[in-house]
Amino acid sequence: MPRMPKRVKFRKQMRGKLQEKASRANYVAFGDYGLQALEPHWVSARQIEAGRIAAQHFLRREGKVTIRIFPDKPISKKPLETRMGKGKAEVDYWAARVRAGTILYEISGVSEDMARAALARIARKMPIRCRFVGKRLSV
Amino acid sequence: MAQKNNTLDVATRERTGTRYARRLRESGRMPAVVYGQGGDPTHVSADAIEIVNTLKSGGHVLDVRIDGGKTETCLVKELQFGHLGDNLVHVDLARVNLDQVVTVNVPVTLTGSPKAAQADGAMLAVIRSEIEIRCKVRDIPSEIKADISELEEALTIGELNIPDGVEALLDSEKHICHIAFQAAEEEAEGEATEADGEGAEPEVITEAKPEAEGDEG
Repeated sequence: MPRMPKRVKFRKQMRGKLQEKASRANYVAFGDYGLQALEPHWVSARQIEAGRIAAQHFLRREGKVTIRIFPDKPISKKPLETRMGKGKAEVDYWAARVRAGTILYEISGVSEDMARAALARIARKMPIRCRFVGKRLSV
Repeated sequence: MAQKNNTLDVATRERTGTRYARRLRESGRMPAVVYGQGGDPTHVSADAIEIVNTLKSGGHVLDVRIDGGKTETCLVKELQFGHLGDNLVHVDLARVNLDQVVTVNVPVTLTGSPKAAQADGAMLAVIRSEIEIRCKVRDIPSEIKADISELEEALTIGELNIPDGVEALLDSEKHICHIAFQAAEEEAEGEATEADGEGAEPEVITEAKPEAEGDEG
């Protein structure tokens, strides 16, 4: 089931402007390896769910997959062959705002090769270019 | 423990600011700053590859040689990264005394693979890959090793072999890692259909409720 918020303040939102670069959530925090977005984009709830299922099918019962993004933005869409006007359209789907650098998924409890293969399968489900990353230096 | 510190050669920066720092990075050097202990802050630069390799080798304390002359003992205080999260752009080096007590994060290295984690549905969940410790600068360990081949349930901070003179700041009951079992529900979730989620809509908390008003009136 695609994810969405349980409660919202307003039913619809303005489109907004997607910032280019991530200044937070841009490093692997919960797992050992991660999948990082290299472009800004709206990632729909269905795409996030497709990625999760692809990884879990591949890993079977090994490891743990953490999803770092949540689709909290309602995207509305007018039906086909509709005249313009008559107010804002109904919500079509929910999306997560992803900036370049955001970590999308993290995996822990498996070897690096397994994590690479699982994250490559997730990357195929994403609408953007992604890359595999490990934990960064810390002091 | 009482190990020899890595030495880092740095050169003083003539000019500072975004533009000059960017040019410096393009030429293969990394901007850094040395400060603390009542001395004036000194803007320096180091070879980018050398500084990354030094930091990867796990040393918190460096002997910083400025312009090939005076050597100062410095603690790596902060690292700054670019928007992709792993590209180092700046390093803060704080002058320290070897007897000064400091708080640092040290990685925990786990060796061996526990038999309990090889059971069906079980996995090793690493909760903390590093812990916060307080000790004298000369006593900072590069890592804390733990053998988990005999692990049955969980490894706590209290069970770690922490060297003398080093104090872990977190509660000793907190887990470093444990054996986790994946719930049966989680497996079923992987196969979930979308039929039940298609028509669902979130609750709108600011929306007026005409039905409730009608009932009252």
